[in-house]
Amino acid sequence: MSGRALVISIIVVAVLAAVPPFLNGYARSLLYITVLYVALAYAWNVISGYAGYLSFGQVTFFGLGAYTTAIAVIRAHLPWWEGALLGGLVSAALAVPLGYLMLRLRGAFFALGMLGMAQTLQVVANSWQLTGGGSGLFLPPGSNALPVYYWTLVIGLLGFATTLFIDRSAFGLRLQALREDEQVASTLGVHVTTTKVWAFVISAIMPGLLGGGYAWYLTYVEPVSAFATRIDLQAVAMTILGGIGTLWGPLIGGVLMSQVSEILAAQYPQAYLMIFGGLVVVLLVLLPRGIAPAISAALERRRARAAQVQR
Amino acid sequence: MSTPLLEVENIRRAFGGVHALDGVSLRVNQGEILCIIGPNGAGKTTLFNIISGVMRPSSGDVRFQGQSIVRWPPQRIAEAGIARTYQIARPFARLCVRDNVAVAALARERTLERARRAAQDVLESVGLASLADRPAGSLTLTQRKRLEVARALALRPKLLLLDEVMAGLTPTEIDAMAVFIEQLRERGIAAIGGVEHVMRVVMRISDRIAVLDFGKKIADGTPVEIADDPRVGEAYFGTQIDETGAGPSFPLKGRP
Amino acid sequence: MHAALFGQLTIDGLLVGGVYALSALGLNVIFGVMRIVNLAHGEFVIGAALLAAVLFERLHASVLVVLPLAFVLAFGLGALIQRAFLRRLPTDLASAEATSLLMTFGLSYFFVGAWLAFFSGNFRSVPYLTGAWTLGPFSIAQARLLAFVASGIVAALLAMLLRYTALGRAIRATSQNLQGALACGVDVERVRTLSFALGTAIAAASGCLLILIFTVNPETGANVTLASFAVIALGGLGNYAGTLVGAAVIGLAISFTGYFATAQVAQAAPYVLFILVLLLRPAGLLGKSGA
Repeated sequence: MSGRALVISIIVVAVLAAVPPFLNGYARSLLYITVLYVALAYAWNVISGYAGYLSFGQVTFFGLGAYTTAIAVIRAHLPWWEGALLGGLVSAALAVPLGYLMLRLRGAFFALGMLGMAQTLQVVANSWQLTGGGSGLFLPPGSNALPVYYWTLVIGLLGFATTLFIDRSAFGLRLQALREDEQVASTLGVHVTTTKVWAFVISAIMPGLLGGGYAWYLTYVEPVSAFATRIDLQAVAMTILGGIGTLWGPLIGGVLMSQVSEILAAQYPQAYLMIFGGLVVVLLVLLPRGIAPAISAALERRRARAAQVQR
Repeated sequence: MSTPLLEVENIRRAFGGVHALDGVSLRVNQGEILCIIGPNGAGKTTLFNIISGVMRPSSGDVRFQGQSIVRWPPQRIAEAGIARTYQIARPFARLCVRDNVAVAALARERTLERARRAAQDVLESVGLASLADRPAGSLTLTQRKRLEVARALALRPKLLLLDEVMAGLTPTEIDAMAVFIEQLRERGIAAIGGVEHVMRVVMRISDRIAVLDFGKKIADGTPVEIADDPRVGEAYFGTQIDETGAGPSFPLKGRP
Repeated sequence: MHAALFGQLTIDGLLVGGVYALSALGLNVIFGVMRIVNLAHGEFVIGAALLAAVLFERLHASVLVVLPLAFVLAFGLGALIQRAFLRRLPTDLASAEATSLLMTFGLSYFFVGAWLAFFSGNFRSVPYLTGAWTLGPFSIAQARLLAFVASGIVAALLAMLLRYTALGRAIRATSQNLQGALACGVDVERVRTLSFALGTAIAAASGCLLILIFTVNPETGANVTLASFAVIALGGLGNYAGTLVGAAVIGLAISFTGYFATAQVAQAAPYVLFILVLLLRPAGLLGKSGA
């Protein structure tokens, strides 16, 4: 990041941290949803954008985090944030064996394998007594919005920082190499399995932590919303809009689309699904690389022109 | 005599009943250049796949510096010092040329920065330095071939497996590649080259030549021995091939 | 378990399997020619199922009348989607599979939304031929038998089309060897469009028969996609004979888990089987070897 970008980022983060207490409930929830989806998009982007393993079921870990938190709060009387941390841990613990198993699959096998994983956990949550079956679990009500917002903001920032690291590190280069050609990467010395399982774990911890906050925010968890694969649809659409496999993509796409989702999701689910689904289809034809590369290309041109003028 | 760098022992590999390799044994000493000749389908690529670890043989052993590597994963073999190129160049298309090479250099360098610097040096040596920032997917066929070699060199291998490095190159480029391979010997890097055509060059650059035919090694020796071997002549330098035009022709008469 | 119960569940499972086989055949036609796994497949199945249900409610139209109609509509829709969107995807090797998956993923949700708008979120079924024949200790639901037989007829028609028509030969040639098909002068672009249209139409046909057995709403498409994909994962991608075996296994799994657990658990059964198979023989299912 250049000096100016760093300054702008710090200002943006300061505003995001300072403003919420002064907002009304609606604006605050809009801001929360935006930050939540940006963070989820960052998580999805690691395994799918950088490593090239399209997951249509990362919501598995979101739901797991939500349920872990609810159970920890209700059964063990832990504070919610400890429950959410536990949710992140449980997600990571599941992601290691699941990663070794699932990441042997490619393309549609992996994508549908993860989608099915989310569906299966939904069935489990629906049928198990511990998870409250179809009616779910209720948490003690309270004014939870602000702490959950800050929790989510911190995880979103961690997601950005992790992506920044991946974008600039040997680990990230190895990930991108195996995305392009796994066999060639392995004969050039890349430890393919370890590298991609790490990426998968990173992409699992974040939804786990975020799901815990979400449960506390809503004060209840139930199977359909906790394991809703449309959450993945949103992460996919936002990341593609912003730029898949890029540092800024999830942020740009998430900020642009969260408003649409929040306004439509509850009241007009059919329009919401058609817009997000249609957006993915149209973007892949018209702007497959997303907005972020287009912006950086424009900045590059301007810089080049400025340099020419100076000369 | 010291242990050879690489020993391939009685390798067999079948695909659905067809023997791609049927009991092949080879030795390569340190800094030695071995060319494996044989038509398309003789088993050269299968052999490279087995040595580099991307494929397991049905039976047989591969030893590198005296250690059996036949069950090792590809990345461990790469780290041990065996690098390979692919017959059809397979660049990481969306990465820039420098990063393509840096991926391999990371096996030797601790930081990404140092790996990129090492990559730049390798690119200088193969004449791709000016294209370092271009996406590898935009390279021409010849440039892709060179990138394959650059990536392999960035591993700083003791043994280089060059699968059909000459294929698709113009005569001038073939000569350049020949010079490059001969330079490997001076740097102490051993090489196995799989070659279908261009016997003229093979005769010049090889320390030894092995001939593969339908998965079997039918001859192994110095260029002179090979050229005089009647079995080789029968299988490869005979007149049938030239008459039918079905196979590659090896201009034996033109050898130096 | 009683032998009679075992036999009954086996019969039920195999009859359901017939419908899944048809759905999976549609997925396989598309995959064979285009190397695309169409994640919106289940939505086409469900769309036709809901259409059949609504037309039965309103007009008492038999599914056998709706089936050809849905087939033609879906054929047109499939051709349109291929021409307007899928054809425009970048074709460079590294990202072709990924972008096609992303696009069909987007399409699947687009259609979930569209069906919600058209048909509402209500669960629907078709109470047609609700009787059963008794055969010794077993009872054979007429609707299931009809669905099975009709699936068989559509599948047989498809097999004949693939074997005896020029289009069928072009589809098989393109599936086996793209370069060869190009060299023989096959208009591959046209074959792709027709294959996607045909695969979509077969999905619709299977939907009209599935509704005889199951109750569905617009959001159940993903389960159908998963089950159909599990069928071809078991039988082998692009392998038509294997599809039948895979479908029988999936049908039995659904029937037995549906009885011993709940209908909901039964929906997860194909997926669990799919994962088990991947565990046991992953190499066979990667569809890619180092040769």
